[in-house]
Amino acid sequence: MERPLYLGIDLGTTNSAACIFDGEQLQSVRTATGETLTPSVVRIDARGNVSVGARAFRFLQKDSDNTRGEFKRLMGSKNRYRFPAANLERSPEELAAEVLVSLQKDVEAQLGMRPRRAVVAVPALFELPQIKATSEAARLAGFERIETIQEPVASALASGWAADESPGAWLVYDLGGGTFDVSLLETQDGLLRIAGHDGDNFLGGRDFDLAVVDWLIARIAESCGVSIMRSEPSHASAIAKLKVAAEEAKIELSRAANETIIVMEALRVGEHEIDLIEQPLTRAELEKISEPLIDRSVRVCERLMRSQGVRQLDRIVLVGGPTMMPALRRRLEQAFGAPFGSGLDPMLLVAQGAALFAATAGLDARAATQSAPPATGPRLWLQYPAMTPDTSPFVVGRALDPTDGVKAVRFSRDDSEWQGEWLTLDGEQSFAGMMALKRRASSTFGVEVKLVDDRVVTANPAKVTLVHGVSIGEPPLARTIGVARADDGVAVYFERGSPLPIRKTFTHRTVENVSPTADYALRVPIVQGDFPFAHLCRLVGVIEIAAASLKSPLPAGSIIELTLEVDRGGALSAKAFLPAQDLVFERVEQLLAPATSPEKMLALVAELEQRAAGLRGKAFREGARRAVSTLADFEATIATVRTDLDAARGGDQDAAEKARRALIECDGVLADVEAANAWPELSARVYEEHTHASHWVAHYGNEQEKRALSHCMDLVERALRSRSTGEIERQLRAMTRIRLAAYFRDPASWSRSLDFAASDIQRATDPVKAQALVHQGRKAELAGNRAELERVVRQLWQLYPVDQEERGLSFNSGVR
Amino acid sequence: MNDEELANNPFLVLELTAEATRAEVERAGQKLLAQLAIGVSSVKSYQTPFGARPRDESKVRMALSALRDPEQRVLHELWLSDLEGDPQVLLGWPSAFASIGWRGPCTG
Repeated sequence: MERPLYLGIDLGTTNSAACIFDGEQLQSVRTATGETLTPSVVRIDARGNVSVGARAFRFLQKDSDNTRGEFKRLMGSKNRYRFPAANLERSPEELAAEVLVSLQKDVEAQLGMRPRRAVVAVPALFELPQIKATSEAARLAGFERIETIQEPVASALASGWAADESPGAWLVYDLGGGTFDVSLLETQDGLLRIAGHDGDNFLGGRDFDLAVVDWLIARIAESCGVSIMRSEPSHASAIAKLKVAAEEAKIELSRAANETIIVMEALRVGEHEIDLIEQPLTRAELEKISEPLIDRSVRVCERLMRSQGVRQLDRIVLVGGPTMMPALRRRLEQAFGAPFGSGLDPMLLVAQGAALFAATAGLDARAATQSAPPATGPRLWLQYPAMTPDTSPFVVGRALDPTDGVKAVRFSRDDSEWQGEWLTLDGEQSFAGMMALKRRASSTFGVEVKLVDDRVVTANPAKVTLVHGVSIGEPPLARTIGVARADDGVAVYFERGSPLPIRKTFTHRTVENVSPTADYALRVPIVQGDFPFAHLCRLVGVIEIAAASLKSPLPAGSIIELTLEVDRGGALSAKAFLPAQDLVFERVEQLLAPATSPEKMLALVAELEQRAAGLRGKAFREGARRAVSTLADFEATIATVRTDLDAARGGDQDAAEKARRALIECDGVLADVEAANAWPELSARVYEEHTHASHWVAHYGNEQEKRALSHCMDLVERALRSRSTGEIERQLRAMTRIRLAAYFRDPASWSRSLDFAASDIQRATDPVKAQALVHQGRKAELAGNRAELERVVRQLWQLYPVDQEERGLSFNSGVR
Repeated sequence: MNDEELANNPFLVLELTAEATRAEVERAGQKLLAQLAIGVSSVKSYQTPFGARPRDESKVRMALSALRDPEQRVLHELWLSDLEGDPQVLLGWPSAFASIGWRGPCTG
């Protein structure tokens, strides 16, 4: 095998798939029985034998206690699954690893080699612990290295590969088993760009099935007088049977039939035994049941298009099994009037895209030892894009061993149609040359070197392969990430849309004395969101600096250097460094809450509903249509939370986890509505900031600042029109930066700051030191020494304490 | 907009003119990333009207992503044209083009 092979895996909630890309063709990996999909189901029998996929799936009804599915949703949580027959316990990661191993074996059967590296797709809304859990599953399955890619990015890549190169706006509509993702793509010259994405973490094919199950339960109650309850543990197996029947009926009605009959025999419901159920379900009835869910997804699409100012779509790409539903397709066509991408298999798109991404990332499926050719010839270190939308990309490299005596390097395409010039090595033994690639194909180039004695020999490596195809700009960061300051402010590290991977270090100061003997930890809260106040953002992680780990007392105002990093897959890591004590803290506390009891969650539901009721009343009184519709979505979600909590009380862990995450989401939705209620306040802030900024920029700003400010103002106006609070906050931050740049050009600005600090000196933590600094500042002022004055004022600022109330709002942050 | 932010102008980082096409932007970025990866010392800094500035992979990636976004690109084109047009900022700028080896759209 000469050419690299790239493996992409879609580890789905209900089904998994793998795909191989060889540089030209995408090839689906088939199971032993010839299927392209492997159900994400694992069974462990009494003897401890593990079966996976279709073989396990058959036992989902018959042996539901020892057969587990939908474990993807619980990845990264502390839940474990029991397999009573074998008396074993498995974590969700271990079960996911079983599915990965099964896919690995299928690849091996098909290609004769065991893949060691791959790209695994994860949902766009997966959080840090879930991404980590995915990597862990791959490690358990014996993968040497994996990268993750967000599912919508993967489907976008695959649809871009399949399409002609016409530019335009595409909507990728991805309705999976448990989540709904929608992305807006812009394509040009084979380069795809994700203009924006949105989604609903709690809308999926499963909800359609559950809607049918609820309908069935109602019919059974009518005809047999037996009420099946999701909160009753002894009804669990009946519910599982209904679920499978509902899914089958849904699929059957998607294919052709106008009516199907759901038949179930010997249904045990607690003490009752129902001999036979024959319940007809018409397509029209199914559509009526599904309509509210479909409408919910359409509203998400519309919201995304509105936020990006897109009116017309050129194409809709459908991803996921539930998108096969005719009613859904009809509704989308009617709402957006754009054609569906043809020739795309909604079930395989994600795996295909992951395989294409493996090529872009140069992640050859074979282990390093499998792919390394026997080492002969002068060694070169080459860097090039394994896949690129550019037909004339550069290959850059250097000779590794100067004693080889390499003078020049030449590349020749193996179809003999193209040969490059001799590229002479420079003083650093490096060279760069432009290749010529075949369009939409894989090109392999032989590499030769000319030695000092003018001999021409084959280099090591002897060949390089580059693929001309689609490529995707680095995945942009979905949300602004920063550190909450003790004063309820946010130190923004990465703005939304920053390219990944990204890494930044900022210096902060601690706000309190910490003694090593105290039972206490200094907190550094990491938040995400586009709000200027920490308490409005969402807490995503905390670095805790435990007092016990300090070498000596840490006085307030100590320097602490924080580094945040987000990798290509969206995983966040953080590091805090205390230079004074030469200590590094890297543990980011995981935020998946410990298992919350259903009762506690129910109390939370009541609280949220009360909050929503208040907001709804206000929205109706003021005729705020958008708020009313957002609150209607909230209603729908909270209704499913209640059903899930019922099921959770019946022992369904998956439902409990889903409810927990839905509650976080609901809280966020209400926060959004509350933020929108603060609209008059926000527009007042825009007005105020604009007035201030214009004033200072007009007096002390340069041309660039004037233009930047006016550009900012244009963007704010657009954001005001589209009512996009996040964007307005971002632009307000930009305006403040521009204003401050101009403000501090004013020779009097630092003097004013000094006056201000002096007037409030009784608040300083160390009034004596503060007084001395003010004195020092006055002297510098008189001497006209601005640099010294600035230094003094900055020191003075550190002496003012943090308001405890504000600190409480910012997750008890211990830094500023 | 201070000097430092202007010196980080993505066109300067990628050594391109405001007319560079999207494909040229990608090519220039890809080449620089590859050269930085193998440690070519000549690409570890770039020239600006304010003097040489260090260049690393994250700066190149930021520049690439800024120029991929049409909205951001317009803004950077504007600042770049300001740099070229403002005699105060551009002491000795006219000759600077040639002296720092600026070329037009990258043709190899």
